[in-house]
Amino acid sequence: MLKYQLSRRNFLQQTGVWAAAASFGGLPNLAYAASDRSKELNIYCWEGYNSDDVLDPFRKEFAAKVRAEGLTSDPDAVNRLRAGETKVWDIINVNNPWAREMMYPEGLIKPIPRERFDPYYDKMMPAFKPPYKWAMDAKGKDLLGMTQRFGPFSFVVNTDKISRKMAEDQGFKLFLDPAMKGRYGILTYDNWNIYHMCIAADIDPFRKHTKAEITKFGEVAKQIFNGAKNLTDDLVAMNLALINGEIDAYFTGGTYTASPARLDGAKNIRGITPNSGPMGGKGGIVWIELTSVVNNPNPSPLAEDFLEYVQRPDVSKKVAFAEGTYNPVTQMGSQEVLSTFSKEELDAIQWDSLEQEMANSVDYDINPDYAEMYELYSAAKRERKT
Amino acid sequence: MAKTSQSNMSSWLKQPGVLAALPASLFLLIGFAGPLLLVVAYSFMPSKTFTLLQAPTIENYSSIISDSYYISFFWSLAMALTTVVLLFIICYPIAYGMAKLFNKWANLVTALIAVPILISENIRLFGWVLILLKNGVFDGSMQSLFGLSISGLLFTVPAITLGLVYVYLPFMLFPLVIGISMVPETLKEAASDLGATRWQIFREIELPLSMPGLMIGGILTFVLVLGSLAEAKILGGQAIVMIADDIESAFTFAQNWPKGSALSVLLIALSGIIVFLLFRRVDLDRVIGRR
Repeated sequence: MLKYQLSRRNFLQQTGVWAAAASFGGLPNLAYAASDRSKELNIYCWEGYNSDDVLDPFRKEFAAKVRAEGLTSDPDAVNRLRAGETKVWDIINVNNPWAREMMYPEGLIKPIPRERFDPYYDKMMPAFKPPYKWAMDAKGKDLLGMTQRFGPFSFVVNTDKISRKMAEDQGFKLFLDPAMKGRYGILTYDNWNIYHMCIAADIDPFRKHTKAEITKFGEVAKQIFNGAKNLTDDLVAMNLALINGEIDAYFTGGTYTASPARLDGAKNIRGITPNSGPMGGKGGIVWIELTSVVNNPNPSPLAEDFLEYVQRPDVSKKVAFAEGTYNPVTQMGSQEVLSTFSKEELDAIQWDSLEQEMANSVDYDINPDYAEMYELYSAAKRERKT
Repeated sequence: MAKTSQSNMSSWLKQPGVLAALPASLFLLIGFAGPLLLVVAYSFMPSKTFTLLQAPTIENYSSIISDSYYISFFWSLAMALTTVVLLFIICYPIAYGMAKLFNKWANLVTALIAVPILISENIRLFGWVLILLKNGVFDGSMQSLFGLSISGLLFTVPAITLGLVYVYLPFMLFPLVIGISMVPETLKEAASDLGATRWQIFREIELPLSMPGLMIGGILTFVLVLGSLAEAKILGGQAIVMIADDIESAFTFAQNWPKGSALSVLLIALSGIIVFLLFRRVDLDRVIGRR
């Protein structure tokens, strides 16, 4: 019989060996480099795609080990891919301009086969029929990902305090009204704030700007910050402040942020899209998420299967109503998907006004003067008079 | 000659002390010094670039100085100083009790103060949001009990201060307990026998002898508050912008790693200088009882 003896010396030796083994096992990059990834998928996404409701059936059906991490800002996510995490992730889900304008030109994502995925675009809502601009590369040749969630995003009001009609008519000028001083919050999704402050200054954010326009933007940014009651990047805290009467509106928001409060019964919390504005007469912006395949040097073969899986009617509904926020999905163009939503759910995502809001909005895009405006924006935030 | 120095070197390397320190030194080098050096290197790269292979420049530092970042540095420093002073006033009596008076109850008090550390800071701060919110726990209770509405507590500088004092209390308290327990009772008795008043004993014996604990608690909380972010964001509604917030924004929304790095280097330098100056006055060996 083998007798196992443990002396103090070999205890130390063994502990060292096991510690070293454990530390190597804990380094994901080293482990991934050589491993077989046929049953493994890593997803980096806005909340929703990482919910177990969406992932568990996929895990079972494909006998796959799926790891998902939620992201909190598009630029942050793109930064992580730039910093070398293309080795880690297989799927990335960010808003529309990033794939076409940054990630694809920088080699962070790769195209998906059109013959496999174009038919899914055919079934989407009319605005997303193929070739859909944001899903294609600049030459209009390669397909860069699949759309699903989208939504108008401008600002949110408590309709008991400010009527929907008045908010839509006034648009972002509402926040420049001296009577609103101290009655609104700013949801600090900084990139969105900059776009919306441009609109408040009667400037189209998505084109090159003159010096005078940039100066005007800086002045409006100061005015909006100085009039704000509170700033937070937490939509739940902002909705809570709105429901409790701490504020009557918040700057930067939409279906995405108002829907959780609305589904909870606070129907007086409503995302507003202005009736008019400086972008060819339009005053609202709509975001569209694009889910793409990461250019991973050791890719998982399940990445495209996952993109196809989330197009299914039942999964589309789960993505639309996953935890956190609730949003319309492009697949609602098909009756089969639309019929899975209840009346309350449609009301939470403001289905009644979606068409009108989309018509009054332009697509989220890159602002060529973002960097310069960001300096003025962050200075206005720092120098805010409270 | 060369041979001698080589053998000196190899015998030095074979010392148990050097060998034992090797894993920790390597770990520190890779895990601590490495990333710090990267941050320093990035801070000299041209604005809004993502590689280190460019001609170094000081443009990030000059733009930080010419912009209004001094406001964020000022607020971070002011909040750090205020928190340290408030924590000293709050913690000294508790620490005194724990070190000298509570006896067997001291363990219970320690546990009560230490347990909240096990809960995420953000969750604890959100608890305070619910208390301070308009129509929240505090305002609602005041309305129903006394018919008084006390709103407007949230999203203010005092709310941020409350959050900072609450979150960092243990970091001041426990070093203070050690500091105060180092004061020998016999010295106090001797002073008392020689006619010193209670105030004189505190000022001339207890305070100077517990100073190392106070210094360590002060440095810990000062540095932690200097780099803090959550309190100003969650409880303060960013009524003020802390420097850590500016750093985060530079790395994320602004997509400007070099500027974020330069701000980080300045913050590290600032806290480094303060800690260095203060540590010159503290004898660490004494605090941990080796002398």
